[in-house]
Amino acid sequence: MFASYLIGLREGLEATLVVSVLVAFLVKSDRKDKLPQVWAGVGVAVALSVAFGALLTFTAARLEYTGQELFEAIASLLAVVFVTWMIFWMRRAARALSGELRGKLSEALQVGSFAVVVMAFLAVAREGLETALLFFAAAQGATTTVEPLIGITLGVLTSVLIGWGLYRSAIKINLTRFFTWTGLLLILVAAGILKYGVHDLQEAGVLPGLTTYAFDISGVLPADSWYGALLSGIFNITPQPSVAEVVAWAAYLVPTLFLFLRPQRSKTTPAPASSAA
Amino acid sequence: MRTAIHLTFGALALAGLTACGSGAAPAPASSSGPAAPGKIAVAANDTECKVAASEVAAGTTTFAITNGGSKVTEFYVYAPGDRVMAEVENIVPGLTRELIAELPAGAYETACKPGMVGKGIRNPLKVTGEHKKLTADAKLAEAVASYKRYVKSQTDTLLVKTQEFVDAVKAGKIEEAKALYPVSRTYWERIEPVAEIFGDLDPAIDGREADLAEGDEWTGFHKIEKDLWIHKDVSKSGPMADKLIADVKTIVDKANAAELTPLHLANGAKELLDEVATGKITGEEDIWSHTDLWDFAANLQGSKAAVQSLRPVLEERAPDLVKTLDEKFAAAEAALEVHRKGDGWQLHNELSKAELKSLSDAINALGEPISKIAPVVAK
Repeated sequence: MFASYLIGLREGLEATLVVSVLVAFLVKSDRKDKLPQVWAGVGVAVALSVAFGALLTFTAARLEYTGQELFEAIASLLAVVFVTWMIFWMRRAARALSGELRGKLSEALQVGSFAVVVMAFLAVAREGLETALLFFAAAQGATTTVEPLIGITLGVLTSVLIGWGLYRSAIKINLTRFFTWTGLLLILVAAGILKYGVHDLQEAGVLPGLTTYAFDISGVLPADSWYGALLSGIFNITPQPSVAEVVAWAAYLVPTLFLFLRPQRSKTTPAPASSAA
Repeated sequence: MRTAIHLTFGALALAGLTACGSGAAPAPASSSGPAAPGKIAVAANDTECKVAASEVAAGTTTFAITNGGSKVTEFYVYAPGDRVMAEVENIVPGLTRELIAELPAGAYETACKPGMVGKGIRNPLKVTGEHKKLTADAKLAEAVASYKRYVKSQTDTLLVKTQEFVDAVKAGKIEEAKALYPVSRTYWERIEPVAEIFGDLDPAIDGREADLAEGDEWTGFHKIEKDLWIHKDVSKSGPMADKLIADVKTIVDKANAAELTPLHLANGAKELLDEVATGKITGEEDIWSHTDLWDFAANLQGSKAAVQSLRPVLEERAPDLVKTLDEKFAAAEAALEVHRKGDGWQLHNELSKAELKSLSDAINALGEPISKIAPVVAK
């Protein structure tokens, strides 16, 4: 029961974190009009995941193992691009705010609805299919034991609660701190998503070296412990990463942190590190 | 995203076929559309990983992994050098998840990873052959083995009885040969679908004069039947009798060595009923001896034997179908039983049109559920 709960929590957190920061940011910067687009992206992702999951569970339709891995990998890499873009978008907004340049704020926030929809969509779709398949498997097994189904459901609900809690607390703190902390959080999340995408590419056989481990701390951080589940759900920190995963993670994290934390000059607008726009 | 949509539409397109994998079709030429092999059960817990099969046929294999332990587990199929061929994660305690793997022939290892760490509990997995056969599932394999035992028992007696029949013909004992004719054919008719796999031997043994093509030599049971009942002279039938027993011996050897698939059984059960409907009810099979009901009974018994071999599989996959089959078999047997006479049957020309119609109805009612077996087996 607890094991299923943790899995639901982990899968859920991977989606709710990005969504809750996105919502908090929009609310905080008076762009509530964009919220429907967030929910549209989330809704479409959930609906598609459930539809594909049902299709693969109840019909003869097949998705080869590599297919699912590739889908998750591509969605993850795209999510990294969008989240990175969001981080620097927020940074620009923070500049405008801290410089009391209210006029500039709305300009900095001129963001396409499309980008918001896609970001919310990717955050959820990334893990949506796997979670949907899990749900259907649990529902099918509910005739024998209903525990997995209840566990996974509670786990996902908890992740939504945590996301909501994050949103509430993020709303309360002052703007500058909000941007700094959520920005840092998102950078760690994005690094984790990239690491996850690399792992999936290795599993799909696109990249080699799946079993060349950088280290193994499964003794200290069991994957099936609550803290293991939380760490992997939020930051994708896993006890047994491959070398390629760690290299990708560090190669993303270090320059992004540097760019994000460097002192801001008030004259020039920093060029975003990513080419997502 | 586009990738995912492509993949899914690809899967949908495949779903349009009967039962779909993405590989070769099974052996019998009579069936259409590819079929997926059965699922291989994997019983995993915190310390064990029991894979139901250690050898599967190349192609698409579906594993159904049930976690009976207390830790979350994962299931992997590794190629040499721990290259992941397929894996499924997040198998929480109490859950069954499926993994579809496309495996070319070779030596692999399966692994369960309770607690999602370490090298896992390994088992060797051998993948053989070019085509995927339907025998991946242990129950299906047992069904084929059980039917093969039936074929063996029938062919043993077929040899003995055909030899007696041939001896009687060669000795000129017409009455004895007439009595042995339907008896020896009984064993033949029960397993005829297996014989039909070997194309040209079937007509050589069981060809009817009416079905002869221009320039074909007519041999087999029915030629001797005509000598016995019409010419009432078997003085020249010796060579024909020798050829018959030789052909029967050849086919018995081939039938017992044949690689059968579950689909052969399913399709064979259906073919036998079609035989009844087209040949025996009409009286065209034994047009001179009128012993069609012996063949009728034998076809029905052979069909039932094939279905019974598949029974464990059918009970698991289509319990309702099993119930229907039992009812319709009983009805067909009852309809036939009316015509029992001594230790044999009434002759075809002793039956009224109404009686023949009731037999025909019973067979048709049975044919419908029997035609549903193949799709179930091919699932």
